[in-house]
Amino acid sequence: MSRPDRRRWSWRTHLALALLVLVLVHWAGIWVAPRLIMFMAMRRIEAAGATSNQAFHAPAVDARSRTIVMPSPDMLYSLCLLDLSRGPVRVRAQPRLDSYWSVAVYEANSDNLFVRNDRQLQGRGLDLWLSAPAHRALPVPDGVTPVSMPSARGIVLLRVLTAVPEAQRALLERERRSFQCQPADAPSSGP
Amino acid sequence: MNQDAPPLPATMRPRPMGRAALPAAYGLALILGLASVLWALRGPLPGVGEVRAGPWAGSSLTGSPQADAHTRARVAAEGLLALGRSETMYYVARQDDRGRPLRSRCSYRVEGPAPAARWWSLTAYGADHYLFDAPQGRYSLNAQGLTLDAAGRFALATGGQASPGLPWLPTPGDQALVLTLRLYNPDASLQADPAALVPPAIQPIGDCP
Repeated sequence: MSRPDRRRWSWRTHLALALLVLVLVHWAGIWVAPRLIMFMAMRRIEAAGATSNQAFHAPAVDARSRTIVMPSPDMLYSLCLLDLSRGPVRVRAQPRLDSYWSVAVYEANSDNLFVRNDRQLQGRGLDLWLSAPAHRALPVPDGVTPVSMPSARGIVLLRVLTAVPEAQRALLERERRSFQCQPADAPSSGP
Repeated sequence: MNQDAPPLPATMRPRPMGRAALPAAYGLALILGLASVLWALRGPLPGVGEVRAGPWAGSSLTGSPQADAHTRARVAAEGLLALGRSETMYYVARQDDRGRPLRSRCSYRVEGPAPAARWWSLTAYGADHYLFDAPQGRYSLNAQGLTLDAAGRFALATGGQASPGLPWLPTPGDQALVLTLRLYNPDASLQADPAALVPPAIQPIGDCP
């Protein structure tokens, strides 16, 4: 079978191929965009002082906050940049607060994979076991909630509502530090 | 096919494309493909799951693993780390009730019934989707700080200057204005039908050429 002679392709053939290139570029870009945006956000968070698999308590949101678009000024954020390539990571949180708080897990493509809030937990603490596919077979301790991540990277985010009376602000700051993140094989210091 | 048909005149036959035009054609396709990605991220077209309530737009798929690729990309670009609707619902307004683009130098009255949620807030963002450099760090007004009238309705004013008699959400400078309504732990009925939000009205106060 002889190879087609490109020089003899008509302009209609080239137009069809150019349209195919356009469509492929579009879909590739749409697939890459959330992953790239998430990756860049994680780099910015690292530049702000966060370290993988450790809790990071971000400063209060204000007009200078440029790490994540549309930040909520009504929330205090603590977070953990996940790197599950070496094994599962354990995240604990137990803010003793009457106001709203939640812990959300995001995967590398930006999807919100898991979330629990204070009302759902009814005063109990949250204890998560996050694992990548390569470490799925490892046993999860009793009483710990497993979260299976599709890849090794992601973010765990604690939100604590700041719209509370001024006298309670110090309490928020103290209680959000119950948020802990560490490799599952590290010795526990308790929430 | 009629074998006896005469051959097409030379002017009507498909002609090979000139060598010089080939790189330009494929380069143009590449550029248009990238431009279409940027266009899609800005969200001019409604995506799957998009809902509208008056001047407010939201998506039932925000943050969800079930989101289609375009919704996921747009949410990442304009609201990274958003929560799913069982936890939080987001409604964004870029236009007033008459469809005119919101500007930070103009004053608007925003009023409506308190949204059906455990807690809610209204935040003003600039064209870059970050907070305004607002006086006294007043970046949002929320369920706790707004007083409802006897009918359970709230009212506030946005703009560069405070409006008498209304709580003020400052939006200094002159740029595009984006208002975001966040509903934390929305009622189940609203989760089931995000378009059922009774939309807060957004009406200009005075003239704003």
